[in-house]
Amino acid sequence: MLQHAKSALELPYDVRPDPDEFIRAAMDWHFSSETGSPFWLQRAESLEFDPRADVRSFSDLRLFPNVADELRDVRAEDLIPKGYGARPEVVGVFESGGTTGPPKRIVMLREWWERMLAWQTAGLEAHGLTLTNRNWLVLTPSGPHMVGEMVRRQAAALGGLNFAIDMDPRWVKKLIAARRADEADAYAEHLIDQAAFGLQTQDIGVLMATPPLLERLARRDDLVELVRRKVEAIQWGGAHMDADSRHLYRTEVFPGSELVGQYGSTMILGGATERPGLSDDDPCIFDPFSPYITFRVVDPGTGHPVPYGERGQVVMNHVSKSFLLPGNLERDMATRVEPAEGQVGDSVADVTPVPRFGGEDVIEGVY
Amino acid sequence: MGATAGLIELDALGPGGGYHAHDRLTITDVAGNPVAELSMVPRLFVTRAMAALHKADPLPLDERVAALAHAGELYSSGTVDGMSADDHQHIVSRVTGLPISVVRSAAAAIAESAVEAYHSVQHARPAGDVNDWRDPLTRTGRGVWTRRGDVFGVHAPGNHPGVHGLWLEALTLGYRVAVRPSRRDPFTPHRLISALRSAGFGDDQVALLPTGYDTADEIIRGADLAMAYGGEDVMRKYAAVSKMLPQGPGRSKILLTAGEDWRDHLDMIVDSISNEGGRACVNTTAVLVEGDPAPLAEAIAERLAAIPSLPPEDENAVLPVVPLAEAQKLEQHLLARAAGTIPWLGGDGIVGDLGDGSAALRPAVHQLDRPDAPQAGVELAFPCAWVAPWTREAGIEPLKDTLVLTAVSHDEQLLDELLAEPTISNVYVGDHPTYWMAPGVPHDGYLADFLMRTKAVIRD
Repeated sequence: MLQHAKSALELPYDVRPDPDEFIRAAMDWHFSSETGSPFWLQRAESLEFDPRADVRSFSDLRLFPNVADELRDVRAEDLIPKGYGARPEVVGVFESGGTTGPPKRIVMLREWWERMLAWQTAGLEAHGLTLTNRNWLVLTPSGPHMVGEMVRRQAAALGGLNFAIDMDPRWVKKLIAARRADEADAYAEHLIDQAAFGLQTQDIGVLMATPPLLERLARRDDLVELVRRKVEAIQWGGAHMDADSRHLYRTEVFPGSELVGQYGSTMILGGATERPGLSDDDPCIFDPFSPYITFRVVDPGTGHPVPYGERGQVVMNHVSKSFLLPGNLERDMATRVEPAEGQVGDSVADVTPVPRFGGEDVIEGVY
Repeated sequence: MGATAGLIELDALGPGGGYHAHDRLTITDVAGNPVAELSMVPRLFVTRAMAALHKADPLPLDERVAALAHAGELYSSGTVDGMSADDHQHIVSRVTGLPISVVRSAAAAIAESAVEAYHSVQHARPAGDVNDWRDPLTRTGRGVWTRRGDVFGVHAPGNHPGVHGLWLEALTLGYRVAVRPSRRDPFTPHRLISALRSAGFGDDQVALLPTGYDTADEIIRGADLAMAYGGEDVMRKYAAVSKMLPQGPGRSKILLTAGEDWRDHLDMIVDSISNEGGRACVNTTAVLVEGDPAPLAEAIAERLAAIPSLPPEDENAVLPVVPLAEAQKLEQHLLARAAGTIPWLGGDGIVGDLGDGSAALRPAVHQLDRPDAPQAGVELAFPCAWVAPWTREAGIEPLKDTLVLTAVSHDEQLLDELLAEPTISNVYVGDHPTYWMAPGVPHDGYLADFLMRTKAVIRD
């Protein structure tokens, strides 16, 4: 049984396991005393169901409570499945943005890391991009945040150089919350100043930025000109981009660059890439890395799925050999979209922030 | 502007022409019926629009003046984007709740502002200045009147269409202008800017940029100078920002000193309170009278009580109309603020339910027991007046922080004091209503005082 379970969890990134078989294998792995993480093994004692017996399919994931908040306090080592042995290959500990309270932490293991990077690269190539030997300029959170490290590794794996800046999104949010808008503004300009040096002097082929920073970059005519001349692909993520801005980027500001959105979360150790082939007027649709990362779009009041085409709040699941986090309610609203072929759960479009979350105001800042 | 599914599509008016956004705000009339969809532009659009305005050159002065006059005519009586002036005014009345007669006269006033704009701004030019460095006077050294910047931003209010007459002066002076409309009245600036464009102003000369609250500051950031209307909060926010000209509360007042018979001025007093639907910053908020205020309060109340509650589009409408729920909220606020005063009118409520989800705001008159009662500064957007006793001992203190003060008095020493007081913007002496305005006469100083500066020029 254990051998069988392992195989469904260890397929190459582009081979899709049978979803239900995959779920059962994952439950066996995460809730067997020999292989599961100390966190989940202990947490299972207070669950009102037996994951190995009762969670047989994707829809059964809804049985799980949302334990994301517990990741703020848990000892990081306790998140590593024991099945990885005494010396698991840890890439790093990554933290959520810290928008709403103390940060949540996850431990990134090499097994999932490689799988996700391979999928990410394939997703970008599906947009017709040739990324080998291209240099990247990255205006995203650094430090404990996953995205900066991810792009660094991705650029390296493709034979390119990575030009990064330092960015602490939590400080920006603090400034905004304290109504110190001028200081937040100065910090953001400082980030753009640093990016300018890279754009001016280096052969940048790929630009990765959060939408607020991309917007600031677009204020400066000289930088717009440099991006138009040098950059083949602009990846954005980490914050929302409204449909009108996206249309303007595609048609007026950077018409010659391929604009590709990423929608993800540290809590699911990755995310979703913009569906290739969308027109300027289509909504921005994101397809997740199913079956490992899956979305549901639900009515925030009832928790039930909304019909296709309707708006609801996004619930994210991560299920892999490395990590398990089902039912994480994100602070995003989206239109529910029919999944791509072979994908479990929903795709999402036109992602926007939920106005309020957990009793604290959600602040959109640089991140 | 066109119609889909019965709703008027109000596009943003950017430097590349009309812009139809994904993000649209439904504009409803006072009864809650959807009337239009307003395209809301994102920050990126604002950034680029403001940059385009900076890059544009103004039209030559003579062409500007001619185009302004033509636009004024188009706006007030022509057809703009396929819509007649009558249809436009009907919509503005239904959406803002302002009486149709007020909307109509505001349109005429805007047209007059457009025609008179050059004449009007010339009143603000320092007597020693010339308009052009080529003037022969500069050969021996002279002040030349010049712009402080190139792009002027306006956060417009929606209380009264007439406010849009003011920024036309900036266009006259060669500024490029970006207007963020109020969601309560996007129609007036949309039509005015469309008319300006038809009359010869390029798309990169004057723009309509509807934005959400979060993006509004981008208009100010991208402008050299800007103007914003609002209450105390807006005043505080922009008080220390040198590029800003905040337009705050009016708190206009009337003072009658001893020896003046209020009966001779009752028409003027009642009119100052209720003209313009009581919506303007120049409507009277407080009436101070030396002597017993009761007979005057009673007389004002009696006159105002006779005004009927009518839908705003009714030719006889005088009172402003708002959604019923808003009227009820305002009523609660008024009753709370009025606690401890003597009600002469509206003491048991001001909601004139029109039965269709909207309500007229009925007049209110309350008597205060002393000149410095805090209520005298409570300015509400309908005919609502506080009548207070005034004494020589109280002096000008209770008359401070006033946009327009009508002083019915022959006491020249007092008039000197009022004119010298920095927080009183305008002083009208005698039987002149507080809402009186004319092109070339400053409203809150000349706007050009803010927009222009003087440079010394001497040449061979």
